Amino acid sequence: MSCSVAGEEDFFLEEKRFKQYCEEFIKHSLQIGDGWEWKTSKDLGDGYLSKTHFQVRNRNIAKERNNDNIEQTLFTDVEESLDDSQVAGVCATEEVIRYEYHVLYSSSYQVPVLYFRACFLDGRPLTLDEIWKNVHACYQARLLEGPWDTITQQEHPLLGQPYFVLHPCRTNEFMSPILTSSQKQNRHTNYIILWLSTVGPVVGLNLPLSYAKVAPEQNTNADSVERPLS
Amino acid sequence: MISRRHDPPKLHPGTAGPEGSPGTELGGGTAAGGVNARPSPAVDILLKAVGDTPIMKTKKWAVERTRTIQGLVDFIKKFLKLMASEQLFIYVNQSFAPSPDQEVGTLYECFGSDGKLVLHYCKTQAWG
Repeated sequence: MSCSVAGEEDFFLEEKRFKQYCEEFIKHSLQIGDGWEWKTSKDLGDGYLSKTHFQVRNRNIAKERNNDNIEQTLFTDVEESLDDSQVAGVCATEEVIRYEYHVLYSSSYQVPVLYFRACFLDGRPLTLDEIWKNVHACYQARLLEGPWDTITQQEHPLLGQPYFVLHPCRTNEFMSPILTSSQKQNRHTNYIILWLSTVGPVVGLNLPLSYAKVAPEQNTNADSVERPLS
Repeated sequence: MISRRHDPPKLHPGTAGPEGSPGTELGGGTAAGGVNARPSPAVDILLKAVGDTPIMKTKKWAVERTRTIQGLVDFIKKFLKLMASEQLFIYVNQSFAPSPDQEVGTLYECFGSDGKLVLHYCKTQAWG
């Protein structure tokens, strides 16, 4: 495990801050219709971000390259890349896949954690491989290279069902440098937006560009992220 | 193609001088004096390193608008001779990581100022 570079601090996200950032996030999501909700657990006071979206996926492999745009607009969520196959493909069976993404707070690591799962409409869950197959080719390189080989399947802490989890143990490692840098410029950075935009694409979740412009009321104090204890 | 910017770039005749000189903006929305007849094919990008990521000797690049973030990542990784196992992230406004298939032209339109788009890049070690 690598040590922090001198001068680079670990940014731990306090739960209160987590909720504030989520609130900001939800607000923007509502504005642009991005479908995120804040859900609370009945028993515990915990809440989490949740998004469900459906993706239509073609099962055929070959497609005509110069289709008219109808196909593109109908299946805007399809991340399958057009390949060079010249065979005119007739659309075979279409599948509808239901994706769920949850962002929970981990008090032990003091960072947000991404839980996700996908299933067909008949309830059959997708395996991790099947999920990754739907991820655009350019992201697939990240799957092999990124600091997230620790995707595990765990029981959702609030819902009790199996979800895939992007393990939080290295979140601080890749978040700290950019947060440190951002902090130096007195920038209010929404931790959730920064983090989710980084890890999301790896599991097929993209944040629209407008999230980059989320700029809340300017406040004079620069500690938008919790400082380390030491 | 990504070209260096320390010489007057061959791609953009008429653009000259040091960065930030007014009136020589490339395409984009910041050109003084109205809309350009034709948007230039490339935009100026300034790359800044974050943390202990190596600093690029050449920081300013003219990048064609349709180049994606992933393409830029690949380019920087090659330029810095990073290992395949190292991951590189790119941030805009130091607050958001654009999707890998996001085009730099779009980012320039949204976040460029003073004729350039500033992007921060950060490397991180893969699990080893």
